[in-house]
Parts: sequence; structure tokens; C-alpha cells
Amino acid sequence: MLSYIGKRASHSVISVIGLLALVFFLTRLTGDPSSLFLPLDSTLEARQAFAKLHGFDQPIHWQFLDYLRDLINLDFGQSVRQNRSAMEIALEAFPQTLKLAFVAMALAFTLALVAGSIAATRPGGLFDRTVSLVSLTGASAPDFWIAIVGILVFAVSFDLLPTSGTGGISYWIMPIFVLALRPFGLLVQVVRGTMLGALSAPYIKTARAKGLHRKEIVFGHALRNSLLPVITVAGDLTAGLVNGAVIVESVFGWPGIGKLMIDAIIQRDFAVVQSTILVTATAIFILNICIDLLYAVLDPRIRY
Amino acid sequence: MGKTSKITIFAAALMASVSGAAYAQDASKAIKIVLPEQPANLEPCGTIITNVGQILSQNVTEALTVIDAKTGLPQPKLATEWNRVDDNTWRIKIRPGVKFQDGKDLTAEAVAFSIKRMAGGTMTCNNMAKFGDRKIEATPVDALTLDVKSDRPEPIMPTLLSVVMVVSPDTPVDKPVNNPVGTGPFKLASFDTQSVALERFDGYWGAKPAIEKASYVWRSESSIRAAMVETGEADLTPSIAIQDAANPETDFAYLNSETTAIRIDTAKPPLNDPRIRKALNLAIDWEGLTQLFGNDVKRASQMVVPGINGHDETLKPWESDPAKAAALVAEAKAAGVPVETEITLIGRNGIYPNGGEAMEAMTAMWQEAGLNVKLTMLDVADWIRYLQKPYPEERGATLLQMQHDNNKGDAAFTIPIFYRSTGQYSTVSDPALDTEVDTALAASGEDRTKAFQTIFAKARNDVVSDIPMYHMIGYTRVGKRLDWRPDITTNSEIPLANIQLKN
Amino acid sequence: MTVITSDIAAPPPAGKLLIMWRCLKRDKLALFAAIFLLALAIATIAGPPLIGDLAAKLGLRQRNLAPFSFQHGWVYFLGADTLGRPIIARLVVGAQNTLGIAFVAVLCSMLTGGILGLIAGYSERWYSQVIQRLADIVMSFPSLLLALIVLYTLGPSITNLVIVLACTRMPIYLRTTRAEVLELRERMFVSAAKSMGAGSFRIVLRHIAPLVLPTLLTIAALDFATVILAESSLSFLGLGIQPPDFTWGAMVANGRGYLANAWWISFWPGLVILLTTLSLNLLSSWARTFADPQQRWRLQSLRKTPR
Repeated sequence: MLSYIGKRASHSVISVIGLLALVFFLTRLTGDPSSLFLPLDSTLEARQAFAKLHGFDQPIHWQFLDYLRDLINLDFGQSVRQNRSAMEIALEAFPQTLKLAFVAMALAFTLALVAGSIAATRPGGLFDRTVSLVSLTGASAPDFWIAIVGILVFAVSFDLLPTSGTGGISYWIMPIFVLALRPFGLLVQVVRGTMLGALSAPYIKTARAKGLHRKEIVFGHALRNSLLPVITVAGDLTAGLVNGAVIVESVFGWPGIGKLMIDAIIQRDFAVVQSTILVTATAIFILNICIDLLYAVLDPRIRY
Repeated sequence: MGKTSKITIFAAALMASVSGAAYAQDASKAIKIVLPEQPANLEPCGTIITNVGQILSQNVTEALTVIDAKTGLPQPKLATEWNRVDDNTWRIKIRPGVKFQDGKDLTAEAVAFSIKRMAGGTMTCNNMAKFGDRKIEATPVDALTLDVKSDRPEPIMPTLLSVVMVVSPDTPVDKPVNNPVGTGPFKLASFDTQSVALERFDGYWGAKPAIEKASYVWRSESSIRAAMVETGEADLTPSIAIQDAANPETDFAYLNSETTAIRIDTAKPPLNDPRIRKALNLAIDWEGLTQLFGNDVKRASQMVVPGINGHDETLKPWESDPAKAAALVAEAKAAGVPVETEITLIGRNGIYPNGGEAMEAMTAMWQEAGLNVKLTMLDVADWIRYLQKPYPEERGATLLQMQHDNNKGDAAFTIPIFYRSTGQYSTVSDPALDTEVDTALAASGEDRTKAFQTIFAKARNDVVSDIPMYHMIGYTRVGKRLDWRPDITTNSEIPLANIQLKN
Repeated sequence: MTVITSDIAAPPPAGKLLIMWRCLKRDKLALFAAIFLLALAIATIAGPPLIGDLAAKLGLRQRNLAPFSFQHGWVYFLGADTLGRPIIARLVVGAQNTLGIAFVAVLCSMLTGGILGLIAGYSERWYSQVIQRLADIVMSFPSLLLALIVLYTLGPSITNLVIVLACTRMPIYLRTTRAEVLELRERMFVSAAKSMGAGSFRIVLRHIAPLVLPTLLTIAALDFATVILAESSLSFLGLGIQPPDFTWGAMVANGRGYLANAWWISFWPGLVILLTTLSLNLLSSWARTFADPQQRWRLQSLRKTPR
């Protein structure tokens, strides 16, 4: 097990360094960002002085070597815009996204398990059809569109929820709903599919013949066995949830890492871009390890 | 399944909270302002940047002078009076009895420190941009008197001093700060990724503001900001889009000191021919275009708004005359000008509300007039490359969407940038015009005004290096609790001390 | 989406088309989806030559014209946008861009992903490892963010958009192909071909690739919907296609500031995105059931589902 994790970790470190290098060179390709940080009417002299101060005037490969050297010393650079440590900024924003993503995913996962399982017990029935349509709609809906329409309907027209921002539990409802919609839609499909397969498997017939209660069969036997593929998909979707978070966070003003990253990219705040990428990639790596461990727990046949 | 049950509880809690959601303001003397953008930092030397200035200016930090919104003239603030000792020197009297928020006294030493921090070159200071390439130096004469010297005659020094934010002498000289300490009526209470909070400073030298606490949050969508004020989540939001400003009770229009224009690159054919440049102005259906910005906007004929020294009220904006435009193009063509050459119109995403639509509309109008104009919308970083010198080598014939903000009362913040050959945005290179600009900048009083007006007239009638569009209107939504109106300075500052609470 | 493994063993022969049609008729939702997609295809091909010019025609004096009125002609039935251009005409022209970008992007990602997957699966040389690590990098990171970075760097043009979308979707095809190849190459017929002296290139191309293709096509159908959504998101964030060109996503983004007072500007394009992706998902869900021998009876049977 340990050696397996070690191997995964070394692969991931290579991936993360590759990603950091890729992003480093890509962002620097856009040239010297000095003029973005200074007022539009600042002089050429001022811009050159600024570039020199922040090392933007150096050749790219020197900048990269500097970056690597600092990285080894755990110095992730300063945000040019915010005048403080880039990693500090990234780590401040990260828990906000984590909370949002965790709740959204947990909600989507639970609802999908329940709805998908019930739908699979009576394929073609009214419930099945409704769930199918709703889930497919959820998976097909443009999230930004749902978010804005949601604000107009629930916050402005009916004044039930706050428009945006963070605070009490009422602030969570819309972001979580929008964020959970897509994973829910996709997961229901997977749960339904695997459950259909599981329910027609021989051991279920045996269980049925033994006279076990239907609820017990569905949630006790079939669900346990169809959980593995569902968890794989859920894992992939959790990583992809950051995509949704970018949109949801920027519409709802949620101070998470998705919004931080898009702002940093727009403002060419390179150190912040690098730090957010490092944090996100590390989080996704840990998530993948957790999923592998979960796999081992759920399926005794798997040994690393 | 412990996880599941936890989630069920959470979901139930979510449901329960829907009905009882309450987001009232905790205290009646606290207000919440929602800005379009997160302030990058709270460095007092960056107050000319809108999102920093709207929080700090006049609230946390104050300058020696302040520009009067109506006359454009400098008024006393931390300076009580000033006079010109010789061509290059101004003598400033400092207001007595003023304390910084950290308890230090305001002295000539402290002001000299602030000027040195800004102009000394030990750190990046955005506000220095207003000084161009001037060098200034401050020397205390006595405890409350200060001499400010510039490297060339500077008739508008008191105006320039309105961007020098005076900070406590304990502020680090060599690095930007996020915890500014000034002399203003409010001090910084907290600053994090979600909000900035200010508290009333009881040792303030002036009148006590009605508001005790102010917090600032930020949302980029105009419709959401407008909704926040409408639902009472926030009390004030500057710059909402025209289509959101539908409620005359809460939404106020104000001339916001911004002038929009298209800059013409006069160096590249066919744009090097004045006939084509005039045709570009004439071919626009101005009345139709105005629909995009609302009927409150004012057509511009020059790059500064009324009220700025040098603005010429008699200068007429270009009329729409497609026939004349076509004739000019035909005439140029006959004279051998390559009118078929592709002209690139470079727009900037999100530059001002409906800016993208305006570019699409203008492109269509020019194409109608037989000009080969192609639209390219760029993001700020790429757009800046075309805005500022040195321009990209391979640029070809370009038109550039731009917006110029001058709320400093004097055309000196506009003319040299646009029309002098050394100007950062200039595409003009005319030694005679350069001399004229230099003379105007050194002049004062009536002569100065006249000289600026002559240059604007020349730019409009002969040079035609731009297509002035509109003096823009901003819209602010002010919650029903507040008694406050926006004015021309609102884009750079929102002085909390001016906000009164109703009842 | 990685879970969708091949259920379609081979494309149905011509005789099966009739059975397919019967099954389709039985599933009303899938039928509607098919009809909608067909209508959309026709409108996308035939529409632009007919009303394409209107999509760029300014009407500044009829900005934000309200929908459901024939007063200005049928093209204005769904209203006009912020520059007074008819929304129907723009939807049709936007469809061409939206579907075109998605189609090319899916095709590119399927081809490159498939080819790299074949190489990575069949060969055990160093480049096989490199390919996999590259895919890991792309996979280990949220695709939208990667797309944002690349588009900010290269500038948002149609070509770049296609490249970015193709690159971010590519690893899925790569991994699926590789997994299938790993299994297939151990099979008898491959060993047979090998022993008969066939070169690696020939084996991969002639014997393995045709067996992998149906799986890839199934994924591609679903991916088409995902790519449309991804493109819309990028346009919403201002990094998709730039004016004067536009897609449905750009239309939604354009009208989002007007939702409170002219909802139709972004409602219609949003609805069309939803309907298109929904139809694609419905159809491919139907196709999966159809292709699964264990489930197909559900589409054919007239009996009520057994308890």
C-alpha cells in the first residue's frame, strides 16, 4: 500500500511540476505585465522601473530558474497586486472552495444514490422517467445561466435569498444548488445504470428467492456492489467541480480559489496563478489517493 | 452511514433557513457599499485607481488640497493656504491641530515625508503618474510651513498636490502597505478577501460624520449590485449599467468625468489622410449610437468634460453626414489614397457599459460607408499594448477604443498625453503643436485657458487624430436610508463624511 | 464521463435501422430529441444563406425589441438583441459557430486522443510513458482553468478555442483507447497476426483501431454536449469567440446584463443550449439502452414493466 502511494505521489509530483512549468511559460508568453499594474497614464520610465523591480525584464528562462530556486526554499512569491505572499492568498481562498465543493458534492452524491437506486428498481416507470429527464436537464444546463436566472428569481423577484456573498446558511443555497446540479445529473445516470446491471445479477435473484425484503436487496446488496463505479465518477466530477466553482464563485461573489484564479489570470498576477495551481493540483492529488483507499475498503479484492 | 445523516441534517437546516432568512443591517449608523471591483491593495499612494480611491480618499487619507467638483479649482484641505514664491517653488501652510489616526501630529515634516515617500522612487507609486515626468521635492520651512520645488515652472502645483495622500511618518518608505494610517475621519478596521471595514476616527480635526461604520464588499455584475441595494443588502453602489438604473427614486445619473473616444493612428495609410479621418467622424449615426448610452450622455467634441480648465463650450461635435463622408472617401481615393486597406478597430472588453456593442455598431456603420474596418476585441493586457507607446511594430492601420478620465480640473492632465509628440497615447508628431502645448502648460490664468482651447479646436478641426464620442454618464444606486448624491468625483472618491442618514 | 465503456459492439447493419426506428418511436423523449436535432441541423445548414445577413443588421432604434410580435416581421418574433438585431437570425448564425466549433473540437480531440492512445497502449517505449504523463497533467487539472490560461495567452480566436477545447477533452479518448488496446493486444487474433509477420503499424491500424472506434464514437456523442457547454462557459467569462463573431454562449453573456429588463436576449440562446445538450444526452442515453442486449427489450416490449 505504502509503495503504491509512493509511486502515485512521484507521478503526481512530476505532473504538478510539469503543470507549473507549462503555466509559467504560457503566462510569461504574454510579455511584461507592468503596464497592467500601473495607471494608464504612467510614463514609460515608470513602467520600466516597475518591470525591473519585479524582474519582468529578465529573460524567461532566468525568471523560471529564479522561480524554481525560490520554490525549493518554499518561497512562492509575492502578489504584485496585493503586496503580500501569494501562497497566503491562495490558502486563504482554498477552504472557501473546499467547503462549497464538499457540501455540493455530498448533496449531489446522496441524492443521486437515492434517486438513481429507486429509478433502477422500476425502469421505465414514471419515477424513472422523471428522474432521467430532471437529471439529464441538470447535466445539460449552462450553469452560469442557471445562476443568473436564479438570482433574479429568488433574490430579486421573490426576495427569499440573498443575491450573493457569504454569511449565514441562506447564502449557501443558490451556490450549492448550481454547483451540485451537474454532478447530480451525471451521477444519477451512473447509479441508475450500474444498479440496473446489479439488480439483474444472479446473486440478487438468489437474495430475492431467499425472500429478502426489496428495500434490503436494493440498498443492502445491489447498492454496495454498484458503489465502485459511482465513486470513480464522483471522484472525477469532484476535480471537475472546480470548473463549476469558477463560474459559481464569480457570479455569487464567493471568495474561493476559482474566483481568485480567474482574477489573477486576468490581472496577470503570476505568483498568485502559480500558487493557486499548486494548491489545486495538490488537493486533487490527495483526493485521488483518498478515492483509491476508499476503493480498497469497499472492494476486498483490490490490493495495492 | 454517518456521512449521509449529517448531510440530511444540513439539508434540513438549509430548508429551515429559507423562511427565516434575515440580513438586516446590525446598526443604524453602519452602511455597506458594494463596489464593482475588489481593491487590489490599500496603498494610499494608489488612490487614483478607482477601487482604492473610492475606499481611501477623503475617508482614511487626505491630501493637502481637494478639487472642487463644480469649479475644478483646488480648495484647502490639509493645507490652509499656498502661494508661489518663485517660478519653481510653492509655499504651503499646513493646517494646525491635525492628528494622524495613530496619534502623531501633522507637521510640515510629516507632509515632506509623504511627498518623499511618493516621489522618492524607493517604491512604486501610482499617484505619481499624474505628475508625468516632473520631479518634485519638499523642504519644511518651519513646523507648519513647507516649500515644494519642481524642476520646471508649475502653475498648477496646488491641483497636483490633491493626489498626494498624507500618511503617518511611521509608514514604511520602501514598500507598499495595506494598513494605511492617515488623517481622515475614518480609520481602517479590517481588510480581508471579502470586505474592507472602516470605523469613525474620533480624533478627526473636522466635523463629525453621521456615519459610524462603513463596510465595502465587491461584486462584478452590475445587475447583482443593483439588486443588493434594492433588497437592502447594501446601501450604495457606484457605476451601475444604464439598463439597471430604472428606478428614479434610487438611481442617480452624474457626469462622471470620463470621455470616450476612438483614437486614430495618424501614421498609417489610409489613416494618414485627414479626409479619411474626417470621414470616419462623419460616417457614424450619432443619434442611433446614443441609444446605447441613454439620452443623458453628452456628445463630446474634445477630450475633457465641461468644468475642466481648457474645455471649449463653443466647439461643436461632429455631425452625422454619411453623404459628405462618402464624398471625402471618394476624393481621397481619387487622390491615390489606398482607401481599401484594412483598418483594424481595437476594442477593449468591459471598458465601459455597452462598450462592446458600440464597437460592433460603429464597425457596421463604417462598413456601410465603404471603409474596410474590421473589429478586434481584446482583453486589457493586449489592448494596453496598442494604447501606450511604444506601439507594436506590426500594427497596421488601427483605430483604438479608449476612455479618458480627467477630474483634476485642468487640461494639463489630457493635452500633453494625447497631442504632444512625446505623449504616451499620442499618434501625432508635429513640432509646431509641441511648442504650442509647452507654452500652454507654462502659462497661467486666462492665457492658459485660451491656449488649451486653441489646441482642442485644432485637434477637432485640423489634426483629427481622434473621434470624440461622449462625455459619459455614470449611474449610482443609493439606498433609501441615505441622503447623498453622486457628482463628478464619484468615480475616484466616495467621501463618507458627506453621506447623511435619513430620519 | 470516463465510465462509458463500449456497449455498441459494432455499428448496426442496414437491416437494423428499422428496428431502431421502431424503438425510437416507443421512447417519446428520444424521439423529440431526434426531431429537435434534425430540425436544428437543417436550420444550421439552410438558415444562414436565407437570413444570415439579418443577423448583422443594426437596428439601433429597435433595441431590445420584445418578443412574441409579428409587427416587425417573423424574424423578430423572438425579439431583438441589444443592437436591435433579430434574435432568430442570430440563433441560426450562432448555431453554425457553436456547433461548428464543438464538432471540430470533438473531432480533433477524438483523433489525436485515439492515435496517442493507440501508441501509448501498444508500445512500451519511453514515449508511451511521456504521453501518459502529459495526459495526467491535463487530467489532473480543471479543464476550464487550463483553457482560461491558454486563451489569455494565445488570444481568443476560433482556432485557439478549438485547440484548447480539443486539448482539454483529449485525455478521455486517450485513456479509453489505451485501456481497450491493452486488453485487445493480448487477444488471440493479434498474436495470430503477429506470428504471421504483420508489422506493429499494420496490426494497430488494421486490427485494433476498428475495434476501438465504436467506443470512441459513443464518447464523442456525449462529449459534443460537454464541449458546447464548455465553450459557452468560456464565452460567458469573455474568453470565447470575440465580436463580431458570436456563439450561443456569447449571446447569453451579451444579454446577461439585461436579464432584469430584457430577459429574452439571454433566455433564448440559453434555452437553445439547454435543449441541444439535453437532446444529445437523451439520444445517447437511448442509444446506450438500445445497444445493451440486456436492456433493449425495454424499448421494444409493449408490456408494462414487471414489478
